[in-house]
Amino acid sequence: MPRTVTYKVGLVGHDKYKQGVEGIEQDLTVEIHELDAQPWGRDDVFRHVGHDVPRVDGPVKATGAAKYTYDINRPDLCVAGLVVSPHAHANIVSVDASAAKAMPGVLAVKTYEGRRVTYAGGIAAAVCAESESVLGDALNAIQVVYDVKPGPAVTDDAMKDGAPVVDPRRKTNVAGPRRGPLVRGKPDEAIAGADVVVEATYRTPVQTHSCLEPHGCMCEIHDDGTATVWASTQATAFFANRRLTQALGLPRNKVRVLTHHMGGGFGSKFSALEWDVICAEFARETKRPVRLMLSRRVEHLVGGNRPDSIQRMRLAGSKDGTFAALDGETWGTSGNGTGGAGSANFMVYELPNLSMVQNGVATFSGIGRAFRAPRHPQGFYALESVIDRYAYAAGVDALAVRMKNDRHPVRQVQWRIGAERIGWRKNRRQVPGSDKGPVKRGVGCASGRWGQGGRHMVGRSQLVFDVVVDKDGGIAFQNAVQDIGTGTRTLIAVIAAEELGLAPGDIDVRIGDTNFPPGPGSGGSTTAPSIGAAVRNGALRVKESLAGLLALEWGVDEGALRWKDGVCRGPDGKQATVREACALLGEDGLRVRGRRERNWRSPYRETAGCQFAQVAVDTETGFITVEKVVAVHDCGRVIDSLTARSQVNGGVIQGISYALYEEKHTDRNLGDMVNPTFDTYRILGMEDCPPIDVVLTSVVAGYSNTGMAGLGEPATVPTPGAIANAVYNAIGVQVTDLPMTPARVLEALERRQG
Amino acid sequence: MKAFQFVRPRSSTEAAQGLADSADARVHSGGCDLLDRMKERIEEPAVLVSLCDAEGLGDVRIEEDGSIWIGARVTLAQLAESDVVRRFLPTLGEAAGLAASPQLRHRATIAGNLAQHTRCGYYRVKSFPCLKRGGDSCPVRADGGVQDTAGIFGNAACASAHPSSLAPVLGSLDAEIAIRDAKTLRFVAFADFWAAPAKGRASDTILKSGEVIEAVRLPARDAKQHVGFAEIRQKKAFDWALVSCAVRYETDAEGRVTQARAWLGSVAPAPYRATKAEAALVGKAVTDEVAVKVGDAALADATPLAGTTYKVQLAKVALKRALAAAREKA
Repeated sequence: MPRTVTYKVGLVGHDKYKQGVEGIEQDLTVEIHELDAQPWGRDDVFRHVGHDVPRVDGPVKATGAAKYTYDINRPDLCVAGLVVSPHAHANIVSVDASAAKAMPGVLAVKTYEGRRVTYAGGIAAAVCAESESVLGDALNAIQVVYDVKPGPAVTDDAMKDGAPVVDPRRKTNVAGPRRGPLVRGKPDEAIAGADVVVEATYRTPVQTHSCLEPHGCMCEIHDDGTATVWASTQATAFFANRRLTQALGLPRNKVRVLTHHMGGGFGSKFSALEWDVICAEFARETKRPVRLMLSRRVEHLVGGNRPDSIQRMRLAGSKDGTFAALDGETWGTSGNGTGGAGSANFMVYELPNLSMVQNGVATFSGIGRAFRAPRHPQGFYALESVIDRYAYAAGVDALAVRMKNDRHPVRQVQWRIGAERIGWRKNRRQVPGSDKGPVKRGVGCASGRWGQGGRHMVGRSQLVFDVVVDKDGGIAFQNAVQDIGTGTRTLIAVIAAEELGLAPGDIDVRIGDTNFPPGPGSGGSTTAPSIGAAVRNGALRVKESLAGLLALEWGVDEGALRWKDGVCRGPDGKQATVREACALLGEDGLRVRGRRERNWRSPYRETAGCQFAQVAVDTETGFITVEKVVAVHDCGRVIDSLTARSQVNGGVIQGISYALYEEKHTDRNLGDMVNPTFDTYRILGMEDCPPIDVVLTSVVAGYSNTGMAGLGEPATVPTPGAIANAVYNAIGVQVTDLPMTPARVLEALERRQG
Repeated sequence: MKAFQFVRPRSSTEAAQGLADSADARVHSGGCDLLDRMKERIEEPAVLVSLCDAEGLGDVRIEEDGSIWIGARVTLAQLAESDVVRRFLPTLGEAAGLAASPQLRHRATIAGNLAQHTRCGYYRVKSFPCLKRGGDSCPVRADGGVQDTAGIFGNAACASAHPSSLAPVLGSLDAEIAIRDAKTLRFVAFADFWAAPAKGRASDTILKSGEVIEAVRLPARDAKQHVGFAEIRQKKAFDWALVSCAVRYETDAEGRVTQARAWLGSVAPAPYRATKAEAALVGKAVTDEVAVKVGDAALADATPLAGTTYKVQLAKVALKRALAAAREKA
């Protein structure tokens, strides 16, 4: 029977800043599943949860003992690789692989004559060989004849009238919004009657995921008719898709996927892709284990990317800083695929009148894939930039404008915290660009949001953790979920340890293996909030079972026993720790399941965040130094403040990198990428990383028994906007294109003078 | 990469002999650039003649005549840390210490830094047509080419930019390159070490097959020298210069420049000697106003592509800052 529980939710601590903010603390009444744990409330006190807990797998990562897909070696392992098209649009007329096939050590060759290639990086041939050196020679020896056709590889060119189309069934590469423009209220009237109207067009680049470990897998078909696939994937449960299992020639239940450690995914590694299928085919054909991991260049071309954007934004409002209307149109490309080009440029703030038309543009380039907060960094960059333009035009403080038009109670608190820590009043230039001398400083801010409290389902099955308990006190939590790199192992250990009165290091966390119950894909920042509640329930089941044994042992009624801090207390001063109780188990131990129950309705709907940046701009060279970032983020209940801060650090770093450095450069005539290496595709390095002041506003979010929500993606959402606004404040002119390179900063300064 | 024979001669003479003996051999020093090119199969030499065991190439020493001898195999990290370099050639140590990453600085050598090929993406990605690799024209120059790091001088045939930030420093110090072949050791003035880009010619130096850089020699100086270096790039960490600049000058008793050298990096297919900047300096006391005029003079005949106009401004600023540093550093 479900039971009704009322408990305290909302912001934990930060009392000084939450004065007078409506709804920041609430009592929440929820109907919860009979097997679900009593929700942790706002005032609960914890031994591990919310504290700094070092990663349980830190030592194996630091020493290199942790094995990534690339590290896996097997007897008779062979390697596979690809020949890809350098042309954006071509038909593969012929492939001559005779020289490659004749090379000693070449085991198998595949060619793809007749295929139409619609992006540089399209596969023309593949080779499986005994060694990397043979493989390289064989790939190099394959001769491909292409019938090259015109094919615009960048958005501006693909939008032109008469441009060759990617999809021959369509007349144009531009696809308007499927469900029509987003319209609310009467934007035209509101704009016509507004005191202040500002308009600008913002552009963001194609950003590649640049995972340190490229895409790929290693497939081994065993003699007993099963297969093991070591995959660099952020979704073990979904990696062995139909194409992969067909290529292996095995039913899905014979295919085990392992991802013990992975070197980054950021949204690009949810499923087996074309090259993984080729790897599986080779494994079947050669009857040997085969590894196929993409080269860095091919990874840049086909591994996925964040769509670029062109965003025309018009914001109208009153002189006192109240928004009246936003209207705009956007274009963006997710390569030769469709969709994915929208922009989250109308969120967070109260916009009573809105019109936004979002167009996807198909280009002859590698497909876009989900990338850390899809649609958000580009959208918030444009939205927050046009807000600063409006604030200057209206003559009102840019922070006051934001607080005035933002209704989220948690962000109201966060704006106050961030403003204090960046020294907004002192450091915000009243007159932008007013510093004397060539190096000018400024500060800026921007908001962010996310909305995930996790899910109770993995595909169509309920998310469960198996818990295996031994007589000697060993306790293992088992689920196929992978650690994308954020600390999943550690938070499982922290939650289990908290519930069982143990130390995180006492918990044996077994993940990244599809022999265990299916785990959620690491997308939408849902992994932690999804699994956390199931781990708690698993620990609860262990305690219930052990209580039953203790009741028998002590000859008392089970109802008379109470667990607190991992100690079970009975009548007459009887007590036992979890470990002591485990001794009552038989040699076969105990196996229970922790189930993830359905989410409740959170009164906070979405998580809030905001960031403040201080920059110094050298106006002679256009060089931007980010001097400080204050990042204030809510991720629901914080489980491990150390890994949580680490996630925010990573989000800020990736956000700065997007704002200042990263850009896929494509030759517009030849359609291929000009900077497919890490010395030419610039990514932020340590010397460019400012001090990052992370403030976690732990919020009992009300979705589940832990109060958790996601953090991985929201942490990168406000960064580009905050930096752009700081630059605007410093130099008095807006740089409307990301990344803000020296060339673009100098161009903007020239515009101001001219 | 294609399999190759790796030989480790004991001396530079033996190395030169080894290079002369094989039609398809390359000198290997740090390997930072060469191995990259081989991995991309831009080059597929049959033999690598390595300097790693060659005696006498790993030292910095002061000769009897006061000149400074830097062996070919001296790493950038060694330059940045060497007492001799820091005392007598401070701008060289500064440039070396800023280059690349700590790992690369411990591997990359002075000879390799000078002889490295352009980092132009069109040259590095084999499937692009490229004049240096035998193509008919330079795709960077085409409307629609990616031009952000292209050269702004001498770019009529090839818009590549020589990436070394040490090169302008060595140019400003009137370095000589000691070149060994199987029979002789000869010295080439720094300005004469460079070859203009041409169809099918990937190297930017005059080195012929069978020749190896043995050392870089810096002349002794009696008079007080003003030296300055400035580098502008997009990132502080591990990035190539957008523009680098090194200057050196001597002054008379009134502080007027009597002799000047000004070199720019990353602006042309080879390190670029800004002779007009030098001419504009001579006879004047170096002030902020003069420095601006020097920059204007030096860049007056730049020929930037549409995507590279900003580098004209950067080059002027680099000159100004190098001169400002030189005023302080005497």
